[in-house]
Amino acid sequence: MKRTFLAKRNALLSSTGLSWGAYALICAVFVLLVRLLAPNLFWQTLTPAFNAADALAAQSHFFFSSFGDAATLSLRNEQLVHENAALANENQTLLEKARDIAALGTAAGIRAGVVARPPESPYDTLVLAGGSADGIRKGMEAFGAGGVPLGIVSSVSADFSRVTLFSAPGVVSNGWVGQQSLPLTIAGAGAGAMSASLARSAPVAVGDTVFAPGPGRLPLGTVVRIDSDPSAPGVTLHIQSSLNLFSVTWVLLRDTGAAFVGALREATSTLP
Amino acid sequence: MMRGLLTLATFVSVVMFPWPLSALLALAAAFLEPLVPLAAGLFADTLYYTPQAGLPLFTVWGLAVSIVVVFVRSRLRTGIIR
Repeated sequence: MKRTFLAKRNALLSSTGLSWGAYALICAVFVLLVRLLAPNLFWQTLTPAFNAADALAAQSHFFFSSFGDAATLSLRNEQLVHENAALANENQTLLEKARDIAALGTAAGIRAGVVARPPESPYDTLVLAGGSADGIRKGMEAFGAGGVPLGIVSSVSADFSRVTLFSAPGVVSNGWVGQQSLPLTIAGAGAGAMSASLARSAPVAVGDTVFAPGPGRLPLGTVVRIDSDPSAPGVTLHIQSSLNLFSVTWVLLRDTGAAFVGALREATSTLP
Repeated sequence: MMRGLLTLATFVSVVMFPWPLSALLALAAAFLEPLVPLAAGLFADTLYYTPQAGLPLFTVWGLAVSIVVVFVRSRLRTGIIR
């Protein structure tokens, strides 16, 4: 009896012929031969595959590296949460402060645009685009940028109001000058200028700042010239406003009691 | 089908993926096709071998794995008493 060899018992060969492993081995040998015999063809053929592999490696490295510093990300996240909570608290505090300030009414001030200024308006007056309808009342004090006192509201209509500047002739205000805060009475001299008289021995020099009362000491202007007449006991200070009155575009109006002080000055002689 | 897929995946992995993954695939394929580790090692050395490296290690390791797998398979296969 003829016995046939059972090919399927062979681990390297299947019953139908060559196995996948044998095909793979043949292919590998073929590729090796191509590399040895035709290296240029080999590398030109495989270059696109290597490029694709490089791109894939770069993409995967970028993807996995994003998870590499998970601890740092967690720490950063925790820090941001704390900062967010602190900012929320600060925001709440500021909101409460803003609400308190708004509750004080005029303490926050009323902002009004300037529609006419010298020389369009009469000299040493400002015409504001705001009146009684906006809460502006006669006697409120007008402040410019930086809190510079400018003048007093002298008349109010429904939609407009007029501010008489401290530099208007006849307007008298109080203030201090110099580093020693010497008190002085400031009189309007017209055309944006003010003047004041002071004792000859007072240590005041050109360039000293003149302050006016308000919420704190507010810079009213600067001493630009000192006139000294030998026949007079004192010197005359010429003061220029800290703001250019010809370019004021807005003012802040607050009730500082200036009108009350002015009325008091007229009613009694105890005040300067 | 599984044999063919594993064999192809091993060869693709040699080109596209890091060598540990290729080695893992070759090892997995070895239990179905014992010649795959040898073929994959030869293919890897064909691509990446440099004369400075000395021995073609991928081929050597593939041959070693193939021999071990053939031996293990022969031990596990049910024998017939003749």
